[in-house]
Amino acid sequence: MPDRSKGLSRAREIYLNRSQRARQLKAQGKKVLGYPCVYVPLEIITALDFVPYRTCGDIKEPVTEADRALPTAFCPVMRSCLDCALKAKDDFLDGVVTTHSCDPQEKTSHVWESYIEYPYFHFIDVPGTVRPESVEYYKGQLDDFRKTLESFVGKELSTDRLKAAIGLYNQQRSLVRELYELTKSAPPLISGTEIVEVVKALMSLPVSEGNELLAEVISEVKERTDGPERKPARLFVWTASLDDVDIMQMLEARANVVIDDSCGGLRAYRTDVKLADDPLDGLAHYYLEEITCARTFREATIGETSKDYAKDLQSRFGYLRRFIKEWNVNGVILLLVRYCDPFAFEMPALKDYFDSLGIPSTYIEYDYTRGALAPLRTRVEAFIETIA
Amino acid sequence: MHFAGVDIGSTMTKIVVIDTDGKLVSAIKGPTGPEHRRLANEVMKTALEQARLQLDDISYVVATGYGRLNVPFADRQITELTCHARGVSSLFPNVRTAIDIGGQDAKCLKINNGKLVDFVMNDKCAAGTGRFLEVVAATLGIKLEDMGAISLRSTRKVPISNFCTIFAQQEVVSHLSEGKKVEDIIAGLHDALASRVAALALRLKVEPDVVLTGGVAKNAGIVEAMKENLGGELLVPEDPLLTGAMGAALLAKELSSAAIAKGEPVPVEPRRLDKTTFFK
Repeated sequence: MPDRSKGLSRAREIYLNRSQRARQLKAQGKKVLGYPCVYVPLEIITALDFVPYRTCGDIKEPVTEADRALPTAFCPVMRSCLDCALKAKDDFLDGVVTTHSCDPQEKTSHVWESYIEYPYFHFIDVPGTVRPESVEYYKGQLDDFRKTLESFVGKELSTDRLKAAIGLYNQQRSLVRELYELTKSAPPLISGTEIVEVVKALMSLPVSEGNELLAEVISEVKERTDGPERKPARLFVWTASLDDVDIMQMLEARANVVIDDSCGGLRAYRTDVKLADDPLDGLAHYYLEEITCARTFREATIGETSKDYAKDLQSRFGYLRRFIKEWNVNGVILLLVRYCDPFAFEMPALKDYFDSLGIPSTYIEYDYTRGALAPLRTRVEAFIETIA
Repeated sequence: MHFAGVDIGSTMTKIVVIDTDGKLVSAIKGPTGPEHRRLANEVMKTALEQARLQLDDISYVVATGYGRLNVPFADRQITELTCHARGVSSLFPNVRTAIDIGGQDAKCLKINNGKLVDFVMNDKCAAGTGRFLEVVAATLGIKLEDMGAISLRSTRKVPISNFCTIFAQQEVVSHLSEGKKVEDIIAGLHDALASRVAALALRLKVEPDVVLTGGVAKNAGIVEAMKENLGGELLVPEDPLLTGAMGAALLAKELSSAAIAKGEPVPVEPRRLDKTTFFK
């Protein structure tokens, strides 16, 4: 019988009741900052002694309140996220930090700020390319963020504290990567569904507590005998964000999901922040260049009149080759959220890239509700029938 | 030995029984209705009566279609995409592209040597499905099965610009009030549906032979409009509703042989023609 206060059981409990710890810390006098997106550098938040807490939508909650503020044919994740905020689900937050990671998030941020009064609200602009001048600009945005947060809390951020926070988050990144090492076997030692629970728990805890949880999970998973069954397909899932287990469970009814590029999965943990003399340099480089979200475009060459498509594909998606090879993937699920333009625009090129690797891929689309899952199940099963 | 394929679609339930040589022994079609959880066994009984067989004579049953999980006497569930690919290939061995337009979805399958290799399906919308035609037939007060013949009388097709079923219905009403002929309106609708499905199919590379199946393929007006929109020949099976069930039956035959070769029992478990129940 596993210890229910530790490891996977504890991760599941936090996943199911995720604001519990943040509320406790708030009651003890800590300040909690919400953030809806991976482009917010949690290192700065933590170094100034705030608790970062990822604000998510809720796939199980019908959107009602957000209808008065946002159009209906619009990113359902941001709609749900704002809906939860308007319904005061995270009423313990001292502030919210948003980014221009995509247009729906930028527009939603301004609505969010004007409909709900927080003691602190900050918006970070994020450039859409990784050119050197973009990184410089983004660093300026991070510096602005630091200044507003310093004046809100009434103390200055020391370089040493920021470096220490970067160290803690790098430790978290390396622990998550260690966890993903445990999906390389057949069957994997941990399921995609369990990983969603663990990662969502990490987004609900202070970094050091998240690291403790990860260490517990890793040692439990390494020893376990009740891991996932071996299924006929090993899948890689590419998606904007997966913050609910429903879809993962649907995929894992017929397959093992062994690796992903997803917020709610590996995306925020794939590489480390490099320690620079000015830590903001390291953070700007990491968040803009190393985070692989479709909202950022990575062209192979700048300023050429004629582009080399194969080179561009390599530059945009080359990091995925390792996932396919090392995790022994035999099928790719491209999971789109309806109205998500950045990911939809990326898809034809990404499909070309997987074709060039000789890996079958299929795309499915859902509208961030549970009702959409039945027709998707048929597509996923048919895809698995073609590859298994 | 006999094998059965049960295809429970959103609108129609189809059952095909074949013998050891793959020859058709019986084929049954009936409306699925809201009670398909309780009716699959009834349709199966009719199919067995027609074939003069008992359930024990059937060595393997494959269920497919939207309602495939609600067939308690099935040995295996396989998606309609794989089953259609198999069924169409048995009728047209050179098929490379199959387009199926059913009551609630439209799909395009790429087939290589009888095997499904890729597919696309429409996204959760009635446009480009049989439901679209049902809604408009009701608005026009004509029978669904008469639409094809009526549309072929058209001399001046009325363009329908809305893909959305509800808006298209409004557009139809406004054309009627302007005094447009019913046959011209229907011809326009068929073109709207066909262009929608053709656009879906063109997401995959459409290669000949191209086969059109599903209930909507019984509409001669749609077949013509699809040919126009795809710019090529189109093959239609004698009974375009049965390909999924046919494929399921053929897969049942293969699975049965594979199980016997491995020394596994066939049928997998003792079966009864019970109604599905939510309570074990």
